[in-house]
Amino acid sequence: MNDVGGDPAGPVDKSQHAVEDWELLTDAITIVLDRKGLKTTDEHRRTIEGLSRYRELAYYERWAAATERLLIEKGVLTEKEIDRRVEKLKRVWSEE
Amino acid sequence: MTGHDHPHPELPASPYAVRIRAIEQLLIERGVLTRAEVRAQISYMEARSPENGARLVARAWVDEGFKARLLEDTKKAALELGIDATGPVEFLVVENTPQVHNLIVCTLCSCYPRAILGRPPDWYKSLDYRSRAVREPRAVMREFGFEVPEDIEVRVHDSTADLRYMVLPMRPEGTKGMSETGLAGLVRRDDLIGATIPLSPAKA
Repeated sequence: MNDVGGDPAGPVDKSQHAVEDWELLTDAITIVLDRKGLKTTDEHRRTIEGLSRYRELAYYERWAAATERLLIEKGVLTEKEIDRRVEKLKRVWSEE
Repeated sequence: MTGHDHPHPELPASPYAVRIRAIEQLLIERGVLTRAEVRAQISYMEARSPENGARLVARAWVDEGFKARLLEDTKKAALELGIDATGPVEFLVVENTPQVHNLIVCTLCSCYPRAILGRPPDWYKSLDYRSRAVREPRAVMREFGFEVPEDIEVRVHDSTADLRYMVLPMRPEGTKGMSETGLAGLVRRDDLIGATIPLSPAKA
C-alpha cells in the first residue's frame, strides 16, 4: 500500500501548498521526539504505513497521526487524554 | 505555535491542527519536551533552504579540493561553509558527469537532505513521483522540462531514513569567470534533486 516504487501513476503535480502553522508544529514535535530517543524515523514510517486511512490523509496528517499513535503505543500519552484536551482546546478557542 | 498565536480556530484546515496542539500541551506538561525545544526546531528547519545546496555546489565548481571533500564527507565539508548538517543522518552527494545523470527519490516516503535543503517540495512526497521516478525517470524529468540525452545513463537513488542524497550538477556552459555567488544563483532546488539541471546564464 505504501511501497509504491514502480507502481503505475499519473503526471507529477508540481504545485506547492503554503505550509500551515500546525504542519510546522507537527514536523518539529516529531523531530524533537526522535532526537530525544523516544521514537525513530523507521518507527514513524512503519506507523504511517499502518494507517488505514493512509491515502486519504494529507502528508502532515499522516505525520501527526503516526506521532500520536506512537506516543500512545509507548505509553507516553493515552488516546482518552488527547481526546479530552482536544475538546478543551475547541471550547477555549470557540470562546475567544 | 500554541495559545494565542494559533490561526483562526473556527475553521481548522484539518482535525490534526487541533490534535497536534493538544499533544504538544500534554507533552510539555509531562516534561517530555519544552516549548523552547519545539520552537528551536521550527527555527532550525525554517533556516534550511535550497540556497545551502546551491552554495555547496558553487564552491565545488570553483574549488576542486572542496569538491573532493564534499563527495568524501558531506557533513564536514558543509561545516566549512557554516552549514551545520551534523546529526545521525548520513549524506551522500552524487555527481553528475557527461556520462551519468543522477535523480533522487524516496519511494517509501519522503526522506530528503532536510538538514541542508529544508523540507522537500510537495511533488517529491507525491505518490506519482515516488512511483514513477524509479520506473520511468526520463519521462518524469521530461515533465520538468528536462530531456536527458539517450547516451547519458540515468541513475536513480532511493533515499532511506539513514542516508539522504543530494545531486552535484555539472557547471553549465557560458559561466567562465562568474563569481561563486553568481554561480550559486544558477542552482535551483530541483537541480539538487536531479529533476532538472542548472541553466546556462544565457538561458536562465
